[in-house]
Amino acid sequence: MAESSLVLTDVSKSFQHRDGFIHALSKVSFNVRKAEFVSVIGPSGCGKSTLLRLINGLRTPDSGSIVVNGLTPDEARQQKKFAFVPQNPALLPWLTVQQNVSLLNNLNSRAGNPGMAFSDQRQLLKRIGLGSFLNAHPWELSGGLQQRVCIARAFALKAPVLLMDEPFSSLDEITRTDMGYLLLKLWEHSGSTVLFVTHSIPEAVALSDRVVVLTPRPGHVTEIIPVPLSRPRQVSMEDSTAYHQTLTEVRATIAAECSS
Amino acid sequence: MSKTNHSARLTTNMQRARKLLLLIAPLMGVTVFLVSWEVYVRVSGIRPLILPRPSVVIGHIVEHPAFYWKHGSFTLLEASAGFFLAFFVAVFVATLMVHSEFMQRATMPVVVIVQSMPVVVLLPLFLLWFGFSPWPKIITAMLFTWVPFVTNALTGLRSVDTSTHELFKSVNATRWEIYWRLRIPNSLPYLFSAGRVCVGLALMGAVVAEFFLSKDGLGHTAYVAYSRLLVEQLWGSVIVLAFMGVTIVLLLNAVEQKMLYWHPSQHERNHPAK
Ligand SMILES: Nc1ncnc2c1ncn2[C@@H]1O[C@H](COP(=O)(O)OP(=O)(O)OP(=O)(O)O)[C@@H](O)[C@H]1O
Ligand SMILES: [Mg+2]
Repeated sequence: MAESSLVLTDVSKSFQHRDGFIHALSKVSFNVRKAEFVSVIGPSGCGKSTLLRLINGLRTPDSGSIVVNGLTPDEARQQKKFAFVPQNPALLPWLTVQQNVSLLNNLNSRAGNPGMAFSDQRQLLKRIGLGSFLNAHPWELSGGLQQRVCIARAFALKAPVLLMDEPFSSLDEITRTDMGYLLLKLWEHSGSTVLFVTHSIPEAVALSDRVVVLTPRPGHVTEIIPVPLSRPRQVSMEDSTAYHQTLTEVRATIAAECSS
Repeated sequence: MSKTNHSARLTTNMQRARKLLLLIAPLMGVTVFLVSWEVYVRVSGIRPLILPRPSVVIGHIVEHPAFYWKHGSFTLLEASAGFFLAFFVAVFVATLMVHSEFMQRATMPVVVIVQSMPVVVLLPLFLLWFGFSPWPKIITAMLFTWVPFVTNALTGLRSVDTSTHELFKSVNATRWEIYWRLRIPNSLPYLFSAGRVCVGLALMGAVVAEFFLSKDGLGHTAYVAYSRLLVEQLWGSVIVLAFMGVTIVLLLNAVEQKMLYWHPSQHERNHPAK
């Protein structure tokens, strides 16, 4: 079995609120192998974003442990091992597309992860259809193009772990499918591990190697469902029986959770 | 020449005309204001002591350029010094406040105290402390402008987008990087808004101080005119002051347009009739 990139063991987290505790995550355990693409799916508020924050060390779990490539979350973050893709584009409006893509590389330069060279970044931008927008500003781009910049920014960092928090949730269905396969194309060459949070079942199945299903709050892993589709993935695979069977399986697991 | 070419040129000409119109719009606004004033005084036959005609006042300014220049530049220097001092102190204090809960709690009452302080009442004290130097005037201008600067700087430094902040933290960006590359650019629109308000306040602060304790500046010329019933000089001082204020605000707007090209407030689609 391949080496693990992320190891989560019995991770729990609750938040103090004005009227008592909110138990967000309860004993979450799963592994993600190196260069694996794993989706986390679960209803709103079940602690998916919280899970990502625990993994990159911006929050600490109440109990349980998280290991990232043999490091603690804090160490991994300090060494810039994470490329984070937030739910909204989070592009800086005063920077050009090119500058936005270099942003993470230029921050915390003592971490020893310089990321992609400038010329490679340009190459990357050209490859994903942003060649004529290098000096444009984010507000001059459509939502889909903005999201492309975000993806480019994440890959430009050349981080071993990509944490993506519902990155395509604000896009329309067609753009969303495009973006998914673009993401796969870039990821297949990168060798990075992806933890992809989503609330779209078809997206989770189409993109990932395995789907981690979380229960409603407190989030707990009900099942980890492998996706029996080969790589590289193509849109045409969404017509296969294997795809539809997995889709049904994930859907049934979530439905069973929500009704119980 | 083809027809399409002709109409294309026509539209660029129209665009140019529109740009020119927008450029001289402030001038037209002022002209309309002055002309209505002039007409009103002439028609109503109001006495010059109550309200002189603007043409007479402007005539007085034109006849005494050196006088107004000298006093105007005093006021301008004092107001600018107060304005910039207030700006830098405010940004510094807001920076401390945004980085430390303690500083924020400790400073908030001071801000309120400064805001509610009857500066005018303290002017004689300033004279005792600093004598007949520019300092009482600079400090008055500063006290008039400090609060809008602090509150806006604080809001601007603080209201960074949560996701962007989290993105910075995800690579362990330093506080300095978050400050310099995220908070500061984010606060610029707020600071420009404050700046526009503070231009008038700084001039007012300088003039108020000059009015009571100075031998120069437009506040002083207004005071002298007031006590000797020199109507033309009184209104002349007021008009020069207004002219300075308008010019500076327009300059500030131009700088803002250059620096905040990225901000929605500067995008043409957010301007009226577009
Ligand atoms: N900093 C915090 N302080 C208090 N409560 C929090 C905090 N962060 C998250 N929570 C709570 O923890 C729970 C899980 O939040 P989280 O954002 O992780 O959910 P999510 O699965 O990402 O939801 P969504 O799909 O809507 O994004 C929520 O009930 C939320 O109110
Ligand atoms: Mg979330």
